[in-house]
Amino acid sequence: MLKKILLIPFIYLLVSFTGGTANADFKVSNGNIFFKSDAILELIKAQSSGLKGIIVVEKKQFAFIVSIKSFKGFNSPLQLEHFNENYMESNKYPTASFEGKIIEDLDLTKDGVYMVRSKGNLTIHGVAQERIIKSEIIVKNTAISFTSNFTVLLSDHNIPIPKVVHQKLASEIKVDITADLVTQ
Amino acid sequence: MLLLKKITAFLLVSVLLQKSVAQLPGYRSFALLENNQPFKINTLLKTADGFIYAGTTNGLYTFDGKQFNKINFLKREARDTVTAVFQDNTKQLWIGFKSGKIAKKINDRLQYFLPEEGTPKVAITAFLQDKQNNIWFSTNGEGIYYFSNKHMYLINEAEGLSDTYVHALTLAPNGDVLAATDQGINICKISGSKKTITVIGPHNGLPDYYVTAIIPAGNNSFWIGLQEKGYCLYDHTTKQISIPAVANAWPYGQVNALLATPTNLWIATSENSLLKLSAANQNVTPLFIASPDKNNIENLLADNEGNIWMTTPTELICTSGEKLNLLPLYDKATYETVHTILSDYENNIWVGTDGGLIKYTISGNKTVSRNYRLKELTAKTDITGLYQDLYHNIWISSMGEGVFVLDPVTGRYRNLSENPLLKKASILSITGSGHTICAGGLEGVATIFELADVNRTIDAKYKFINYNNIPNIGNNYIHTVYKDKAGSIWFGTDGKGITVLQNGHFLHYDRHTGLKDDHVYSFTEDKKGRIWFNTKDAGIYSFDGRLFKNYNTANGISDLQITSLKTDKLGNIIIVNEKGIDILDPEHETISYINNTQGIGEINTGTESVTTDSSGNILLSTIHGILVFSPVYAAVTQPKTIITSVQLFLQPINKDNDHHFQYDQNGFTFKFTGLYYTNPSEVHYQYKLDGLDSTWTDTKDQSIPFPNLSPGNYTFHVRSSLNENFINANEATYSFTISSAFWKRWWFILLCIITGATTLFIYMKWRENNITKMQQLQQEKIQFQFEVLRNQVNPHFLFNSFNTLISTIEENPKNAIGYVEQLSEFFRNIVNYRDKDIICLEEEIGLLNTYFYLQQKRYGDHLKLTIQISEDAKKQWFIPPLTLQLLLENAIKHNAVSKETKLDIQVFTQPGNRLLIRNNLNPKLTQQAGTGMGLQNIINRYNILSKEPVGIHKDNDYFTVILPALKQQ
Repeated sequence: MLKKILLIPFIYLLVSFTGGTANADFKVSNGNIFFKSDAILELIKAQSSGLKGIIVVEKKQFAFIVSIKSFKGFNSPLQLEHFNENYMESNKYPTASFEGKIIEDLDLTKDGVYMVRSKGNLTIHGVAQERIIKSEIIVKNTAISFTSNFTVLLSDHNIPIPKVVHQKLASEIKVDITADLVTQ
Repeated sequence: MLLLKKITAFLLVSVLLQKSVAQLPGYRSFALLENNQPFKINTLLKTADGFIYAGTTNGLYTFDGKQFNKINFLKREARDTVTAVFQDNTKQLWIGFKSGKIAKKINDRLQYFLPEEGTPKVAITAFLQDKQNNIWFSTNGEGIYYFSNKHMYLINEAEGLSDTYVHALTLAPNGDVLAATDQGINICKISGSKKTITVIGPHNGLPDYYVTAIIPAGNNSFWIGLQEKGYCLYDHTTKQISIPAVANAWPYGQVNALLATPTNLWIATSENSLLKLSAANQNVTPLFIASPDKNNIENLLADNEGNIWMTTPTELICTSGEKLNLLPLYDKATYETVHTILSDYENNIWVGTDGGLIKYTISGNKTVSRNYRLKELTAKTDITGLYQDLYHNIWISSMGEGVFVLDPVTGRYRNLSENPLLKKASILSITGSGHTICAGGLEGVATIFELADVNRTIDAKYKFINYNNIPNIGNNYIHTVYKDKAGSIWFGTDGKGITVLQNGHFLHYDRHTGLKDDHVYSFTEDKKGRIWFNTKDAGIYSFDGRLFKNYNTANGISDLQITSLKTDKLGNIIIVNEKGIDILDPEHETISYINNTQGIGEINTGTESVTTDSSGNILLSTIHGILVFSPVYAAVTQPKTIITSVQLFLQPINKDNDHHFQYDQNGFTFKFTGLYYTNPSEVHYQYKLDGLDSTWTDTKDQSIPFPNLSPGNYTFHVRSSLNENFINANEATYSFTISSAFWKRWWFILLCIITGATTLFIYMKWRENNITKMQQLQQEKIQFQFEVLRNQVNPHFLFNSFNTLISTIEENPKNAIGYVEQLSEFFRNIVNYRDKDIICLEEEIGLLNTYFYLQQKRYGDHLKLTIQISEDAKKQWFIPPLTLQLLLENAIKHNAVSKETKLDIQVFTQPGNRLLIRNNLNPKLTQQAGTGMGLQNIINRYNILSKEPVGIHKDNDYFTVILPALKQQ
């Protein structure tokens, strides 16, 4: 898994570049992603605890990544199979990622609760989309935890919905993320 | 407390006088006050309707020319500083706040707009809608955002934006968005998800990196406002910057805002107030120089009427913009001697004063004046008229000295002596067109000069015709002589009406031909060739060759003391009076006004003190100098009527979408305004509600309630005018329908009628049935009574009873008393019950027992009666009287009762509320003859009283009668 992350050049760059100022960087120790497709005929839920990522405090930059195959849940094993093979094509596009920069000026070394927006590239199904995502960050005792929720339009990421499942799969997927980060 | 904080707007100053080349004649200023402290207007917007919105530190306001009205948040307690306001092409209003939040105006209320991406944390500075209808907004520190395909995107340094502090946005014809930033102009180009930013900065020739304003200048060019270096022009096609000469050494400080009107560029500065850059001569004219509190202008706006609006930190100011210009050429003392003015071909202004002429030459910001003295004229000789002929020579008419011609180049002049009639004559007016010059005066002087090429110099003799002793005029004063475009010559007299020389014939019009006034002062002609003239007391007339049409105060003319008439470059008739001018649109017959509201007044009342310059502007001599009126093409000159709000029970509704209401949604309030910023207090209103009253009602109120409207179709009409004349007034309407209550709809009424009729029918049937039943019952009862009595008075019964009694007396006299008592009880009960339809089962059983007692005395143990009925049933059940008695009697009658053949009678109940009476069968060999009516009668009575029939069963052993239980009704 770690190898896969390192394959993402940006993160590799971040990790190597900020090696000297290790104190100021936070790494995900516990990250969860939930998603929900609330269609007319079916509610599909899945979650993954495989969120990895890093925040570089000084530059307000960050990168998060999750393996598509780490998602569990679904209403049936067949659904999971469809998710991986038909929609996400997880063999071809094994990860989803969001990397970018926090818009607001803030000091993540100071304790507090911050509502921030970050601008970055959300890559799902191999298609990168620029997004602004709102998060609540809590900094306490040199640890960070945050929650974000946003929606993903399947059409933004070239994920086709076959006509047959039109009423079973929402065109907008709701995503919730919670993560705890600690200094390296 | 809230009431105390009530926000008010009021007029602060009216007229301002400055000594500069050209100025605004006056302005009106308005302040938004809270606790008597003005608060700041941060931004201005004009909506598609022409309404002005002000974004302030205290929220969003509309301004109708008289007062500010706050647009509240849906959550009333919300407060926010507005920093940007925008209306998109669906008329949706967007409001940006200092807090970075964004709101939309929905049903007269502000509601925060909450995109998933959140909103900025820094002030919103501007909005824009691009060619794909995406909404953009810029911020003070986060860059530029835009919405596209359900998402919000950000352009900042990451894309190459030179600075995230963005002050203004504008759209280029090719769809590029141009942003004014602290670091130059940024050109934003979006294609798909690709954002390309190009920076135009000092390296492109931009004189100042700090760009404060950017507005379109036409031809894919943009005016750029700069922090230090004034302004410049950016050509988006060539990406070239051109710097005007004046900006090379810009003395006026920071440019805050720019506004382009057809003939001028208006520049708002921080330190030097408002500047006007004339497109014609590239001259920058500072305005408001003498007002230190108006040096910092932050926003500019042009309304639809040609007024220019601006804001200072404490005020909203309305100026007449391009419409009015004051040339303060002379002071009050000179003004009093000026009787006539002229604007020559070089736009020099000539004024005729006592004893001579003054010529004012305006060049750049300087004015040069030159005096021309005419030695023949003394200080007491009035110059009555000035006219410049086609050879540029100036014609001067005088009181008592005839006519002079002056060569403006050399200053030479001569008194016209070739016409003896004009010698020492008193000339009242001198007008002309083309080669013709007309002079009119006292004692019937009316002369037409026809000029030829020889008259280039003033020395050659002029050809002329004198029209003295014109029929009907004689030697009366001729105020004015006018030659129209068709060649007819009009003579206006003082008291003798009008005479026209048309094709060699004199035509005369006066009181006798329908004119209300014979004193005619000046003529003009409109674009359609109609002749207009003003009279002493009866207003003005138009004449189309056949009919005279009069216009007076009823048509909206503000003052009948009319000095003169002129036609402006747009074809409007300019009616000049001492206090201002009325502008009459001859096509729509509407009149608008310019008066002291615009800061003008004390206009010279001389007929010839009004003139038209070579570009068609109207020049007037006023106490403050020469006032130039330049009508603005396509400007709105009449109030625009807008229904600002429709309220249902005082709650605003969506007036664009809501038109259908329930029967109980019937209390409406209409709020409206006739937008006319030029003179808002002069707006009159008329309204009507079609469906209720189809006559117009005059009102000054701007809110009309209609409580309790009946169901129906309605259209609310409101129109506004600047006077009592509502012909061609702009009208606004709102149509709506109130549905009838469902109980008033046809289907419901029909349903009711059917139901009612059916009910009535059923009731009548039922009643009929009842009556029949009652009658039957009555009949049966009588028959039964008869039967019973017949039976009981049956000699057999009596005989038997008496025999029993005799034997009882013999055997046991004591018992005999009891027997007689029982017998008497039995007859008493029969008498008691015979009238009743039903009696309680208990009573019947009592009767049965009495009867049984009597019979048992006779039959002894051979007769047996068993009654098995619960006490409840006895009390609750009912029975037609004597039913059981009759059945018992029948049993005895039809059966042998002896030692061998005992008769056992049982009375008991059965589930299903049935009362049974049965006896074992022991039929007599010889049946006693009976009428057989008793049992039948019981059956009949039960048929009437109960739904269930009486059951009669006879088998080998038993005879059973089943009686349905009756309940008390």
